[in-house]
Amino acid sequence: MGSQIVSLVVNDQRREFIARPGTSLLSALRESLGLMAAKRGCGQGTCGTCTVLVDDRPVMSCLVAVETIEGASVRTLEGVARGGELDEVQSAFVDGFATQCGFCTAGMIMSAEALLERDPDPSREDVVEAISGNVCRCTGYASIVAAILDAARRRRDAASSGGDAPAVPAGSEAADGAGVR
Amino acid sequence: MITAVRVPDSVAAAATYAAAGGRVMGGGTIVMAQVNSGSLAETELISLRKAGVSGIRVDGRVVRIGAATTFADIERSPELAFLHAAMRTIASPPIRNLATVGGNLFVPQPYGDFAVCLLALGATVEIAGPGGPRRAPVEDVLTAGVAQGEFVTAVALSLPAAGTWFHHKAMRRKLNSAAIVAVAAVVDTADGVVTSARIALGGVAPRPVRAVSAERLLTGRPLEHDVLNEAGRAARADIAPFDDAYASAWYRRRVLPVHLRRALLG
Repeated sequence: MGSQIVSLVVNDQRREFIARPGTSLLSALRESLGLMAAKRGCGQGTCGTCTVLVDDRPVMSCLVAVETIEGASVRTLEGVARGGELDEVQSAFVDGFATQCGFCTAGMIMSAEALLERDPDPSREDVVEAISGNVCRCTGYASIVAAILDAARRRRDAASSGGDAPAVPAGSEAADGAGVR
Repeated sequence: MITAVRVPDSVAAAATYAAAGGRVMGGGTIVMAQVNSGSLAETELISLRKAGVSGIRVDGRVVRIGAATTFADIERSPELAFLHAAMRTIASPPIRNLATVGGNLFVPQPYGDFAVCLLALGATVEIAGPGGPRRAPVEDVLTAGVAQGEFVTAVALSLPAAGTWFHHKAMRRKLNSAAIVAVAAVVDTADGVVTSARIALGGVAPRPVRAVSAERLLTGRPLEHDVLNEAGRAARADIAPFDDAYASAWYRRRVLPVHLRRALLG
């Protein structure tokens, strides 16, 4: 038994590819499917920059043998923006300077997406727990935690105003702050 | 190099592959890390993900947890609410969505926190293999592993009575750290006096260990500060601590009584 054809639903599209035995989901995404958002950091499940959602749950994609999730639904950062527009989490990261070198950002955002889908109104502690597997060596985390809380607020506001609110409300605290650094 | 990844759809199929010498894995948090670093000895992987050994079944006070059940599944189980706080001390959500009950029994300390809980609970391990199914006390699996070709299919435990379960894990930070010292215990008392105690320790030996000296010392005595300090000092006879990036062996031995006391008195 050698390489296998593996079929996954990646960002709502059915994708088939050939995987060598022992290929991780991370390697399949990057090398077979050309999706480069999830990064290879440690390859040990320690850094979290490869975090993607498998069947709506965040996992370290470097630790998933891709043959074992045949047929699963996978979401990566590439599937987060809607119609070319950044979603609330991405916008809040941009506006809140929650990214510096950017290496952790894809994993941070996917952990945040999983949290906000489960809990639209998380506490600061909930956010800290949700990103506890995602290492950032630049920001000191404060701006990331603030951005995720901001994204939760934006999403709740959008939901309560009918869902058509812009991702970055004009005059928002974050948008105002953007000009002064 | 990996030459095959098997994803059997039954225990029988998994047993056939395991008999041929592949490495059985649950969520892959340990095994895939070894694959990625090129340090895995075996060339075939056998995943239990689709082998029908996931899920939590409660029958009266007995809970049977399938080997491929993830820590996230336990966190979502209302029947296992007594374990939720302990689960949240283990790694991070993306790891808990992968890591399994069965796999955790084979993780070297200072990881393997759930195995410490199972040891305190006196769990029974269900094992499949070439000789057919068998059961073994969790102690035996933690000390001797399983035979070539065997793998764990489930663990069974009795729910501890209200107020008898204790857990405390000393870590380098509040979340996502391996154990400096982990304590899990089931302690029964009557009129303030300990009638029975099962205390398991993590982080202080290569495998989870029972603090039998502390258990003996506590039995028949009250759960009080000074008694627990004495029990914690006695427990130093039960450990074989090691140096690692989280703490030194000296430090683990030094702080063990503090954390044993905190586990049982808060």
